[in-house]
Amino acid sequence: MVDPLDSEKGRQEQMKALPQENPQRPGRPDLVVETRGLRKVYRDRGRKVSAVDGLDLAVERGGVHGFLGPNGAGKTTTIRMLLGLARPDEGEIHVLGGEYPAAIPSVLGRVGALFERGQFDPDLSGRKNLELLARGAGLPMSRVGEVLDQVEVRGVAKRRYRGYSLGMQRRLGLAAALLRSPELLILDEPSNGLDPAGIRDMRDTIPRLAAAGVTILLSSHILAEVQQLCSSVSIIGNGALLKAGRVDDLLGESTSRTRVGVAEPDRAAALLLEAGYSVSRDGTFLLVEGHEHPDAITRRLAENGLFVHELTAIRPTLETFFLELTGHRPAASEDPTERAFDETAEHLVVPAHRGEEVGA
Amino acid sequence: MIHLVRTELARYRSRRVITLLLLLAALLAAVVAFQSAWETRPPSKAEIATAQAQAEVDAGRSDIQTDIDRCLADPGSYLGTGATAQECRNALSAAPTSYLTRSPLDLRGTLKGNGIGLALLIIVLLIIAASTFAGADWGSGSIRNQTLFEPRRSRLWAAKAIAVTLASGVAALVTLGGFWLTLYLVAASRGVDHSSAVVADVSWHLLRAVILAMAAGLGAFSLTMMFRRSVATLALLFVYSIGGEILISVLPFNDTGRWSLGNNVLGWLQTRLEYFDPHSPCSRLGTCAGPDHLGHGVTGLYLLVLVVLAGVSSWASFRRRDL
Repeated sequence: MVDPLDSEKGRQEQMKALPQENPQRPGRPDLVVETRGLRKVYRDRGRKVSAVDGLDLAVERGGVHGFLGPNGAGKTTTIRMLLGLARPDEGEIHVLGGEYPAAIPSVLGRVGALFERGQFDPDLSGRKNLELLARGAGLPMSRVGEVLDQVEVRGVAKRRYRGYSLGMQRRLGLAAALLRSPELLILDEPSNGLDPAGIRDMRDTIPRLAAAGVTILLSSHILAEVQQLCSSVSIIGNGALLKAGRVDDLLGESTSRTRVGVAEPDRAAALLLEAGYSVSRDGTFLLVEGHEHPDAITRRLAENGLFVHELTAIRPTLETFFLELTGHRPAASEDPTERAFDETAEHLVVPAHRGEEVGA
Repeated sequence: MIHLVRTELARYRSRRVITLLLLLAALLAAVVAFQSAWETRPPSKAEIATAQAQAEVDAGRSDIQTDIDRCLADPGSYLGTGATAQECRNALSAAPTSYLTRSPLDLRGTLKGNGIGLALLIIVLLIIAASTFAGADWGSGSIRNQTLFEPRRSRLWAAKAIAVTLASGVAALVTLGGFWLTLYLVAASRGVDHSSAVVADVSWHLLRAVILAMAAGLGAFSLTMMFRRSVATLALLFVYSIGGEILISVLPFNDTGRWSLGNNVLGWLQTRLEYFDPHSPCSRLGTCAGPDHLGHGVTGLYLLVLVVLAGVSSWASFRRRDL
């Protein structure tokens, strides 16, 4: 018997068969990206490998949405399917309210994408590359100048793309993504390989675009970057969704801890235990868990004549949350140069509480 | 669609390698035209005088004079029934023109020699250009960006195909047309045969060469869009053209010559192609009435089928495969 996945025709037939097996529902209007049961299978040396396996993704309109997962989790494959570059084997995709594959031509005109690797002709200038894209899309040539100004590459726009630094390549990629004034911008590892100034620029640009009304789907393995920039996040592993929601809500699900400095730590510990909190000692300090907000601790102690002289909220980071969820950090590039840049990237966004957590 | 085709034409023009290949094609046409004109230039007065002197010296040679005398004595037995004394003189005493080292310009002769060679060279260059045109998109990954800006892949493929076909045709017309126009003007200025019959033969050849260049460009583009690498296309064409000829020559079937790519390309380009098929029964028995003939209809159909096969496979592959 012929496996339907063995041939393109089989795939087509399988896709056509889906509506009868699993009647499709219209996409939710509040979502810019919605996938249901998305599946993509590749052949690797005769073996079938599921790159994406029943992924349900939902990205609300507005803001910056993080797309996280370890290497090989299926992020890039998912992005390629969202951009119509790869066909799913199963499942539904709705982008900006349009259902794939029928809506691809109309929807992609409202979507911009920045790939990890350069997607330009190396022998043409940056400007020429953009002009060809703009001309093909029927956009006025003045738009090219506008986006070149927007990403600040006009100065080198006449140079051949081959001679661009990584930072300039990424900026030009962003300029191409912005050419059609997209409603949805998909960024695949936008900080990879950038120098510190480039990373800062990129991280300034992303919130600015979001503030201008563009919904951004940001795929990154730099968790601190995602935590800094994203209001919501989807974490995938082995091609399936592990967790999704607002960053604050997700981190709130982790037990929050508070470090308390008080004159009589033993009596304070007893009082807090009595109130139902979990308490442990950290030298002369107490580590309290299981409370909604630190002010509940101060109120309880003050009511009993104990006054706090130091109170530090130790919030979980996305990194610790991710570690708990997946068991490992998202791997950085194997290229030592890029890895060094990644480390720079993380240092640029160390949240204020992170040092305290380390010191705790 | 028109703006897409114009975009792809601009992309074709803007590729440095393609520009170099087109310049090389133009340079080749100019060099071959110059060579053809130079090697057929009229003899100088000094060359004519030398030829005349040489003819007179040879006319005085005793062995030649003896032959002439024998022929004049009985022209019929020497040159065949009905031969005349004048024919004896013409045939046996060399005219001064026989001592000139160059032949005059002959457009029909050029059509069979340099003209066909140049057309083949230019078509090969246009095949490389078409393959580079598509291969660069895949090599740089810019095809992904292009697909994002024009997600209707059939339209994108068609726009590129139209652009490369048009560009190949224009390049062939300019280079080959320039070559033949130069030779026509040279022939007219020298007063050699440039009659309407010759011009018609050259014009039809030029038209067929331009059509073949367009088809070759389209075919090379199609294969590269399918294989996603120019080198794969060029390797396949090389193997098909060389390996195919070897295979055809060793196959134990009759009339295999008509399936040879080389014969079909030459049959399309030449005014009339005649060839001997070593496998045909008459060749083996030595009873062939004459060589086989490949007409333009048959060769055109053969080449059309190849291009259509490549085009349809490429289009279907580009439409369905992941990028």
